[in-house]
Amino acid sequence: MKKTRLSAAQRREENWGWIMVAPTIIGLFVLNIWPFIQTIYTSFCEHLGFGHYKFIGIQNYIDMFGSTEFWKATWNTVWFCFLTVPVGIILALFVAMLLNTKVKFKGGFRTIFFLPLVCAPAAVAMVWQWIFNGQYGILNQILGTNIQWITNSRTAVVAVAIVSVWSSVGYDAVLLLAGLQNIPKTLYEANSIDGAGKVRQFFTITVPMISPSLFSVLIMRLMASMKVYDLIYMMSDETNPAMADMQSLMYLFYRSSFVAGDRGYGSAIVIWTVALILLVTLIQFWGQKKWVTYDI
Amino acid sequence: MAAVLTLVLLLSMVGCGSSDGKTHLTFQIWDTSQQAGMEAMCEAYTAQHPDVVIDVQIVSWSEYWTKLEAAAESSTMPDIFWMHTNQLLYYADFGMLADVTNLYDDVESGYYQNHFSDISLNNVSGSDGHYYGVPKDKDNGVLVYNKEMFDSAGVAYPDDSWTWDDLVDASQKIHDATGNYGYLAYSDDQLGYWAYVYQNGGYILNADKTAAGYNEPGGKEAMEFYIGMQKEDWCPDQTFFTQNGAGSTFWSEKGAMFMEGSWSLLGALQNNPQMDGKWDIAKLPKDPNPVSTPESLDKDGRACISNGLCYSTAAHGKNREVALDVIKYFGTEEAQLIQGRSGAAIPAYLGTEESWRTAWEQYDYKINLDCVFEQFDYAIQIPYNSASPRWKSQVLDVLTQIYAGNQEIDSGLDQMTEIVNTETAKKLAGN
Repeated sequence: MKKTRLSAAQRREENWGWIMVAPTIIGLFVLNIWPFIQTIYTSFCEHLGFGHYKFIGIQNYIDMFGSTEFWKATWNTVWFCFLTVPVGIILALFVAMLLNTKVKFKGGFRTIFFLPLVCAPAAVAMVWQWIFNGQYGILNQILGTNIQWITNSRTAVVAVAIVSVWSSVGYDAVLLLAGLQNIPKTLYEANSIDGAGKVRQFFTITVPMISPSLFSVLIMRLMASMKVYDLIYMMSDETNPAMADMQSLMYLFYRSSFVAGDRGYGSAIVIWTVALILLVTLIQFWGQKKWVTYDI
Repeated sequence: MAAVLTLVLLLSMVGCGSSDGKTHLTFQIWDTSQQAGMEAMCEAYTAQHPDVVIDVQIVSWSEYWTKLEAAAESSTMPDIFWMHTNQLLYYADFGMLADVTNLYDDVESGYYQNHFSDISLNNVSGSDGHYYGVPKDKDNGVLVYNKEMFDSAGVAYPDDSWTWDDLVDASQKIHDATGNYGYLAYSDDQLGYWAYVYQNGGYILNADKTAAGYNEPGGKEAMEFYIGMQKEDWCPDQTFFTQNGAGSTFWSEKGAMFMEGSWSLLGALQNNPQMDGKWDIAKLPKDPNPVSTPESLDKDGRACISNGLCYSTAAHGKNREVALDVIKYFGTEEAQLIQGRSGAAIPAYLGTEESWRTAWEQYDYKINLDCVFEQFDYAIQIPYNSASPRWKSQVLDVLTQIYAGNQEIDSGLDQMTEIVNTETAKKLAGN
């Protein structure tokens, strides 16, 4: 076999290439890959305290799969995704289409819908906590109901999902809006000459044309929903009777690792979550071939 | 913008270095309301030692222990920090804290024993019996009550003879007469069921701290009483307390009584001027009929839980010697008086406790502070052991399930006991 020899100039160029990508690669390795490897190792250990670990094999996983709290948290996470992703994306698409029409103060509306994203999540959660307050909250006042939104085991996840959708719709809508604006007007014109109605136009032109944007929004939203933690942390607390029915996998991880100090068990939960996200993402990439159009 | 950021970064770097030739110490605490008192002590120290600068930093209670543990792992602990009884053994047994047993040897032999109570010293002792912190303060919980609501229901104010029965009776009458809540029995240990368990002759941890007593006769009866109060129409349930909190309910005049820590009283007075003349404090009501067992610490139905914080420094900190000198000063009569007068907390140094009253003098409205001091006569040390950080959150999980009605109280108490016993045995076997 003949070895391809690089000229000195080519070698120099190659070296420069490595130097150029080094910051990213080093950053990725130090900040993402190495901690991930450590997490895998930690999940097979018991945390004795202050970073001292004892290898205990798969005991954490045995404990985890035998824990009802863990399965409940997994279900809560799946349920939360189910509540937030479809509703969130449909709403975002609806908002994007409204913002794409000829209305007055379009810029103003776009800003308003984008506003939740620039609010600190902690502040958002605090305000919603008051809106949802069972005794003195404005939501119950308006509806004339007496629902304990955050402390009832059935409504707690729904309440968090509402806040999550509220905070993400604006951002998703902006992404979809960019997709919508890239659709050539001529397609709609040709289509209406052919006698298609608005609904038909939506399904035969709009959806296929923005399917790449929809797909990336879907992946992002699903990952974010599976990792939900901050909203639950802010809106609830440990004495909440509905805690077991609202805690997500990431919240359970936080409590195990940092409140109870059991980092081995916490790491096992993280690995499980990573596996779930991986699985869902793989399914999506396989599924996108069926519905995402990258060219006309 | 970028230039501003760079400038800020540069400035903060200058702040870290000791370019001015002085020793810069960080002092980490969690309570904003004590910041002024702590700074006053630091100023008194730096006045005598101009080459030292102490920066008091606040980290909120909810993140304090997560951050401190991470700092301990990476050997970047603050130079001086507050230590809590629940956590001290965990840190001390791992060799994270400097041993301060001999800190005052040059001052006076038996300094600690002469100037601090047994409870204070137990709170700072590691498993090896050495001291790992200088006692800072002491506290207990009192009954805070709304005088107006008692008046309109025609019930006499709580006094020394008050029992659990009177508490229930008054709550019912106030609820009937005013429509407000009576006693706010929220889910809490130090400001909740712990005192009731000990008053009833039960215990949370036995004498050698190896086993829990939630399901022992004294413990069980008290837990049933305490948890059961939420079933009464005069007490909100836990879903209410999660959303509104007992304190806000009381201060917004929706509830007549709740248990509050002595450390929060001054802040309460300052923050609720609209309540001047309408509230006061009393000793905790006693148990009319305690269970008598050989383990009973208290047999006349009186008990309150007392805790105290301490000042610690890292075992291998960069500025260890200076930091030790500072906390040595914090443990002197002079420094403890400064702390007391600032109203930060009741000093641990015996004989300086009364200085805490000074801070209250500037306010026109007076409350019955005597009962806080009198309660120390039968105070019980906060129940903890070296496995506390491991079992506390798990015990709370079960308790929350009991409050939610998902778990029977009997089996729940068994489970809580088992959690403590298992975690404690694991911890003891590991050491």
